[in-house]
Amino acid sequence: MSKSAQELAKERLARIEAAINLEVPDRVPVWGFGGDIVPTYSGFTNYDMCFDEEKILKASEKFMRDFPFDSTMAGITGLDGRVFCMAFAEYDDLSPNMTFITGPIHDILGDKYTRFPGREIDKTAPAQFVGGTFMEPDEYDQLIEDPVKFIAETVLPRACRNLETPRQAMATWVRLGMEIARSGKFYAEFGKMSAELGYASLPMGWGYAPLDIIGDFLRGVHNIVLDIRRYPDKVKKATEAITEHVINYALAYTKRGTKYAMFPLHLNEYLSPKLYNEFYWPTLKQVILKLYEVGVKSIVFFEGRHEQHLETILELPKGWGVAYFEKTDVVKAKEVLKDHTCVMGGIPISLIASGTPEEIDKYVKDLLEKVKPGGGFILAPGVAAAPADTPIENINALIEAVEKYG
Amino acid sequence: MQEELFSRIVDMDEEGSIKLAKEYLEGGGDPQKLLETCRNAMGVIGEKFEKGEYFLSELILGGEIFTSIMEFTLPHIKEGETEKLGKIMLGTVKDDIHNIGKDIFKAFAEAAGFEVVDIGVDVPVETFVEKAKELKPDIIGMSCLITAGITSMKKTVEALKAAGITDAKIIIGGGRVDEEVKQLAGADAWADDAAKGVRLCKELVGVKE
Repeated sequence: MSKSAQELAKERLARIEAAINLEVPDRVPVWGFGGDIVPTYSGFTNYDMCFDEEKILKASEKFMRDFPFDSTMAGITGLDGRVFCMAFAEYDDLSPNMTFITGPIHDILGDKYTRFPGREIDKTAPAQFVGGTFMEPDEYDQLIEDPVKFIAETVLPRACRNLETPRQAMATWVRLGMEIARSGKFYAEFGKMSAELGYASLPMGWGYAPLDIIGDFLRGVHNIVLDIRRYPDKVKKATEAITEHVINYALAYTKRGTKYAMFPLHLNEYLSPKLYNEFYWPTLKQVILKLYEVGVKSIVFFEGRHEQHLETILELPKGWGVAYFEKTDVVKAKEVLKDHTCVMGGIPISLIASGTPEEIDKYVKDLLEKVKPGGGFILAPGVAAAPADTPIENINALIEAVEKYG
Repeated sequence: MQEELFSRIVDMDEEGSIKLAKEYLEGGGDPQKLLETCRNAMGVIGEKFEKGEYFLSELILGGEIFTSIMEFTLPHIKEGETEKLGKIMLGTVKDDIHNIGKDIFKAFAEAAGFEVVDIGVDVPVETFVEKAKELKPDIIGMSCLITAGITSMKKTVEALKAAGITDAKIIIGGGRVDEEVKQLAGADAWADDAAKGVRLCKELVGVKE
């Protein structure tokens, strides 16, 4: 332990940034996971991780100290709240603050998008996003006409129990503002802890695919998939109308000095190449390109299987960012994208949860043999949430394997 | 007519296929035949998915078309007139509240000729055991989307076995399951898409294609 935390953080950041910039790092960087294992490892529950800041800090610190990945996904539980970012899209001092629905924010809003432990579900269950349908098909014209107005004035009162009437809304927004100010101190404390452990801090903002705003928050995934067939022109126009506001939201982060933007995608896996290229990709591409123009690299999480859409990534400029895959074969992805896009992913979380240390060692060795040459690769779990009973020796085996073969 | 209806369903013509099916029934057509055509079409949609020609959105729309046609067709078919391949008891495991994968699978399993009893989401281990005793299913299907479900599946399978429920085959399904999870959980089969899931269920009850 000769390196200071600062040196360690610098080394880790350089390693990750080298991979993102398509260079060969000193070793393959490995992105850690969070999930139910983090509270369990300290004897806490998922409820604690949503509502008890002291325990969040304790559990995260212990997990991050004992399992030294290059970066981590352990930490504060927050679920997607981009619909609120859309409602506040005209105020770039506010819209980034609405990115996540935390436990306290869920209580304040009474939103119907999420379920939290100790509230709607058991204390042991993780917080979950369920979405829902808060807009009817005959309302597409209103959404197209003025997305911010429609979302703020029509959708949110339906989607949140505490925004149903204007007088309720007044109190709710004041409370939310107070919570944002209060939790800011906690985030700073978390950042300090993370820095003291030598974790690299990527100045990270967020983006979103415009069609996912409609699927996740307005119509629901099931309905949006049907709407694409039933009302194709309206879906397309609405997605285009939302894009400007997604761009403004994503750009709002740059005022806070961000250099990266993370995109969690949802509908990509659902769509055929034809539908993807017509309804999903053009507006997503616009957001990524806009960020690239101002010097922000995107880290796009292509959920599920993305094999059928791989080639479209080549339409982006070389070095645009990181393609993070869940179930897509990263060996194949690296072949297609090498020298153009940094590829991230490769570890099935089931292997860590269910495999043996020997299997993990062999898996990492075989995988890195194929994807390490030439750099531009970040090893990461396909889903960054490990189950509660993930064997500790498996997490150690993963870290050791990367040290050996990375 | 049957061929026309078949290809309209397979081609994802929602409006056209529903209209055609209605007209056929109103014109005195055989509901049993109609059901059969719809089932065959759903089978082909599943095959196309497995071949990579169709994607999740086609499975969802196919399920929607099938359900819409069944709504006005099934009342014309007497209970017991259609032979079932077997009974599937289906639920999303404890601590997971997602239903999208379960619902897609359900539509395709019913289209394939299974009787499906849906016991809901976030289903406690004890409920799986109680319901299995009561319903005596041929297959128990467990769904999960989040990784917490992996732990719950393992616990649920253990509890079923401990309760002496060993006749029913167990299939696990969902975005986060694979061979590793199947072995960990002690299930008989796994699928991460509905088409594969239905194909495996047929195998589990010994139906030959």
